[in-house]
Formats: sequence, C-alpha cells, structure tokens
Amino acid sequence: MATELEELIGFLSAPSPPVKKAAVDIVRDLTGSEDGLHSLSNYANTVLPSFSRLLSDDKEVSEPAAEALVNLSQNAGLAAKMVEMGLIKIAMDMLYKPGSSITRLLVMLLVNLTQLDDGISSLLQIGDDKMQGLYVMKLVRSFCRSSETSDDPFDHVGSILVNISKKEEGRKMLLDPKRGLLKQIIRQFDSSSLLRKKGVSGTIRNCCFEAENQLQNLLLISEFLWPALLLPVAGNKIYGEQDTSKMPLELGSALSIDREPVKDPEIRVQALEAIYLIALQEAGRRALWSVNGPRILQVGYEDEEDPKVMEAYKQIGSLLVHGSETEEPSTTTSK
Amino acid sequence: MALWMETGSEPKTETEIADLEAISALKESTALELKEKGNELVKKVKKHYPEAIHCYSRAIDQKALNDHDTSVLFSNRAHVNLLLGNYRRALSDSQDAIKLFPANVKAYYRAAKACLSLNLLAEAKSYCESGVGKDPSNEELKKLAKQIDLKKLEQEQREAQVSKALVEAKDLVSAIEDRRLKLGNAMYRELTGLRKPVLDKNGILHWPVLLLYAEFMSSDFIEDFCETDMFSAHLDIMFSESCPPLPWDKENHYSRDAIELYYEAGSGICLSKSKILRYLLEGTAAANVESIGEEEKDAADGSPYDSSAGSYKWVKVNEKRTLHDVLNEPNFIIPMIPVFYVVSKRSGFYKDFITGKWRPPA
Repeated sequence: MATELEELIGFLSAPSPPVKKAAVDIVRDLTGSEDGLHSLSNYANTVLPSFSRLLSDDKEVSEPAAEALVNLSQNAGLAAKMVEMGLIKIAMDMLYKPGSSITRLLVMLLVNLTQLDDGISSLLQIGDDKMQGLYVMKLVRSFCRSSETSDDPFDHVGSILVNISKKEEGRKMLLDPKRGLLKQIIRQFDSSSLLRKKGVSGTIRNCCFEAENQLQNLLLISEFLWPALLLPVAGNKIYGEQDTSKMPLELGSALSIDREPVKDPEIRVQALEAIYLIALQEAGRRALWSVNGPRILQVGYEDEEDPKVMEAYKQIGSLLVHGSETEEPSTTTSK
Repeated sequence: MALWMETGSEPKTETEIADLEAISALKESTALELKEKGNELVKKVKKHYPEAIHCYSRAIDQKALNDHDTSVLFSNRAHVNLLLGNYRRALSDSQDAIKLFPANVKAYYRAAKACLSLNLLAEAKSYCESGVGKDPSNEELKKLAKQIDLKKLEQEQREAQVSKALVEAKDLVSAIEDRRLKLGNAMYRELTGLRKPVLDKNGILHWPVLLLYAEFMSSDFIEDFCETDMFSAHLDIMFSESCPPLPWDKENHYSRDAIELYYEAGSGICLSKSKILRYLLEGTAAANVESIGEEEKDAADGSPYDSSAGSYKWVKVNEKRTLHDVLNEPNFIIPMIPVFYVVSKRSGFYKDFITGKWRPPA
C-alpha cells in the first residue's frame, strides 16, 4: 500500500503536465522544511533521479525541481548520492544549454555538491585525461563574463572556486600557468558584489597554501595579485609620494587616491592570511618587500580595529621581522 | 678398441708409432724451450716484448703441452700484452688461460687488469673476486680490487654530476617554457661569457642582466636580477647618490633621474627547447652529453625581424615593472641573457638613439 508521499513522488513522473507540475511544487515545498527533508531522504533513490530528469523540462517544472535539489543537497548524505548519480555532469550540461532559465539555481547546486570531496573530484573531472578541467574553465569564464550582465547568474561561482581550492588538485588546476585561471579570477576582485569579492578572496587564500611548491605560479601574476591582496589591508589613508614611489604603478596609483574601504573583516583576514603564506617563503618575502608591502601593512594596521584582523597583521609582522636575510634586492655589478 | 684413422691410411707399423712418439716429444721440448725463451725476453727492455709474444705464440701452436702448461703460456702472453698496452688481446689470452686451468690465479689478475684499463669495471671486479676466491691471501688481487672500487666511485660521482647538471638545465628550460618566454640566439657572448639564469629553491628565476651604455659602448652587469624585482629598485642602487659617476660620463648626464632603459623589439628567431637546453648546458658537467631528450626543429618566429632595413625598433622599459613582466612582452625575444640599452635624456646622443639612427655594431 503506497503512502501519500510515495504516491506524490510517483506523480513526479506523471505523463500529465498539470499533475506533474502540482507534484513538483508540493515536493519542492517539502524540501523547505526539516521534516520534509527527512521524510524525502528515505526515498532518495526515486526522488533524486526524478528531479534530475525534470531539470530539462519547461521552466515551470525545471525551476521548482532545481530549487528542490538545491535544498536537498544541503544534506550531506543526499549530496553524496547526487554526486554518485552523476548530477554534476547533468548540471553542467544543463547550465550551458541555450535558453536555460535555472542557471543561478544550478550554480547554487554545484556550490553545495562541491562541499564534498567527491563532488570536487567530479567537477575537476579528475581521471578524464582529455576533458580534465573543462568544467572549471567554463565556470571561470562564465564567472568573469556574467558580472557585466544585469542579473549576474554566475555570481555564486566564486563559492564553487573556494570549495574546489580546498583540495590540492583544485589548487593545482587554478594555479596552472597554462590555463591562466587564477589571473582571470583575481580580476573579479574589483567587483562591487560582496559575494564575488568573498569568492575571489577565499579562493586566493586557499591557493596560497601551494606557496611552498608553486610560489612562481603565484608571484608571476603579482601584477594582479598584490593589488588584490594589499589594497584591502592598506587602511584608509592616502599614501604619500615617498611610499608610492617604491610601489609598482597600479598599486601606487590606487593608494594615492580616496578609496572605498573593504568593510567585511573576513575578506581582510583572508588577504592577510594569503600574504602570510606567501611571506613564509624567502622569495615571497623578497617580492613583498619589492612592492613596499611591509609599509602598506604598517599603515593599514594603524587604521584597523577588528581584533581578529589585528591578530592577522601581527602574525605577518613577526614573520617579517624574524624572516632572515637582506630585504634589499641584491645587485652586484661588474664591468 | 677402434682408432680414428684418416681415410686411406693403413694401420700403423711399429716404426711409424715410434716416429710419431719421437715427433711428439720433440714438439714438447720445443714448446718448453720457446716458453723459456719468451720468459727471458720479457725480462729485457720493451723492444723485446713483441718477440716474446711470438715465442709464446709458437709454443702454443705446438699443441704439445698439457692444459696446465698451456694455460701458463696464455697467461704469460697476456702479461706481455698488458705491458704493451694490448688490453683486448691481454683479456682474450687471460680468458683462454682460465678456460684451460681455472686455478690459474695470475690469469684472473691479468684479466682484471685488462678490464680495468678497458674501463669494463664490472667485469674487472668479477675477475678480481674469482681470483680472490681461488687464493684468498693474494695481496695483489686485493690491491687491484681497491683500485677498481675507487675508479667505480669516481665514475659514479661523475655520472651524478652530469645527471645533476642535466636535471638543473631541464628544470630551467621548463621554467622558461611555463613563463612562455621567447629566447633567441645569444648576443654579446664576449661580455656575457657563460652566465646563465638560475632557478632558486622557490622556483623563482634570477637572471644576469647586461646593461649597455649605447653612447659609450660600455657595459655593466646586474649579476642577480630576481624576476619579481622591479627595475627601479636595481637602478636606485646602481645610480644612488653615494655611487661615483661612471668614469666616461664626463658631463654627468647619466644620473638617476635622467637614465632610461630600452630593449630591442622582436629581432631574430625563437630557439627550440633543445637549442636552449644546449646553451644552458655549456660549461657544465653535462656539456658533452650526446642525447638530451626529444629533439625538435627550431620554431621560427614568423619571419625574423630584418634589422638591416630601416630604423631600429626600441621599446622603453617602464621602471616600475618587474623583470618578469617586461621579459614577457610579446615583442621581446631574449638573447639568452637579457640585454637593455641605457641612455640619458640629457645627452645629445639621446636623439640619435630614439630616432633609430644609432644601431649596435654588428
């Protein structure tokens, strides 16, 4: 004897569109509550495939289906099942179908799915020699382009990048100079969307954990990296000629004018943590000195009031004081 | 009992048997005489050695002696071949000696010595060990074993050095490739010598950089220009207040605020990976390694920039940029060691330079 819920789930595959639509809406509403989620998780093996099929349906069905999946994916067990089912591939395929109206929802789904290791591996397409990294490249490109559109459906991609950069393979892929992904991502730091800023900031910080082995891949994009890392922690003052003359152009000119402070303390902490990781390496310290970084940190610290951020400043401070040899570039000349 | 007999031959008579025995005895004594003669000749000066060899060879050809004595003949001939530097023949003779009489310790010694001279170190060691096995108290064999070990060690160290040099050079090529830098033929070798870029432990490149004062055809080097350093930092040090002015700069035009740096835009072709590797291996332990990996054809950089037609193309360097960023410019083909031309805004030479009227001597 089928329960009401089982019947309802059955209707998700009903041939009659209004019946299907009604069922989808009801089940979607269920996913919005704890109890509903709990009950549905018992039927994961039928519900999940049904919903994933519905993603390719018309907007009135695919939207609630996508919403439901996003809600369901907040549960780790269900998320794992979804990854196992190949939902990442399905989502990526749907994302780039022309006329797709569930873009933002699908991106949010991917954010949840990449909370899991398996989800990350699946998105990175590890093990698929030919296609490896294709999904990530597409997402990064969309991330960068959609900021110019009015609704910005890809703004959550930043969070996906933060997730994948938690894994070494993800960091390696982002840092790979041949793909040039990190360079594209860093440029998004200027965006006014806090979500984007946080995504970029968190991703850079995670990638800096590779500083020990891949410092060159970080430092060689220093033209973009230093402004993204140092501007948020440069304080509010306008810098004088004496300081900016020792900085590269973009950094120097940005600090010579009035600027919007970065209000979110988490972003400032992440920037400082990233700088710390780079400064742990000798060449990283040298590069930081060469752009007059320590001076910027000194001035920025004076304006800082958040205790967590102040801690982060101090951590770098002691590293720079105790960090070995000469900070001046060594120049020996011979004729 | 059947005797092999040549076809057509008769069974031997008593006289024939006696004759055969007499011939056999004669051969035997001849062989022994030849052996003695050979031994005597070896004690004399070197010019007698070939004759000694001849004696031993004739003695062997008699085929009249038993295995033990014939082994001694081979081993003696090996000894003389060693003295004459005929190592291959010495080895072959020693091997024959060993085959005939496996307890011939001298033969092992001589085989080992021959192998050592032929740089067949593993075989040398093996013969030594066999010899020691037959005669554990043999001091000469033990000494030889030590010699072989020493040579092996030296060889391994050399190979390690070559290997290391090769790996370092390949890492450099890799780093250059990752950065998509374009390298062309080296210029000004008489000034740059064997200088090369270096990869530090963080994977950051340090370049030796040649500065040419075009006006005076004088040069200077920045020995260690880290790719993440800005030009301004190095120029600040080189042209600081406390530094004496350049000796040929009588009117003091070349002050910090007046100098400008330029590089030559797109001249020449880009070299292939293997050519770059060869350049980097020059002067290292691995300079003469024959095969260094995949060989590719030179990638031509479109058409090589024709520097003889028209004016020169100079590109000004923005001091506030890092070396890496400048080297990465699409029109910069680095002549192995980066070269920058230094001019002063205040000097009369400046106009000639900027308008392309001046060009570097060929």
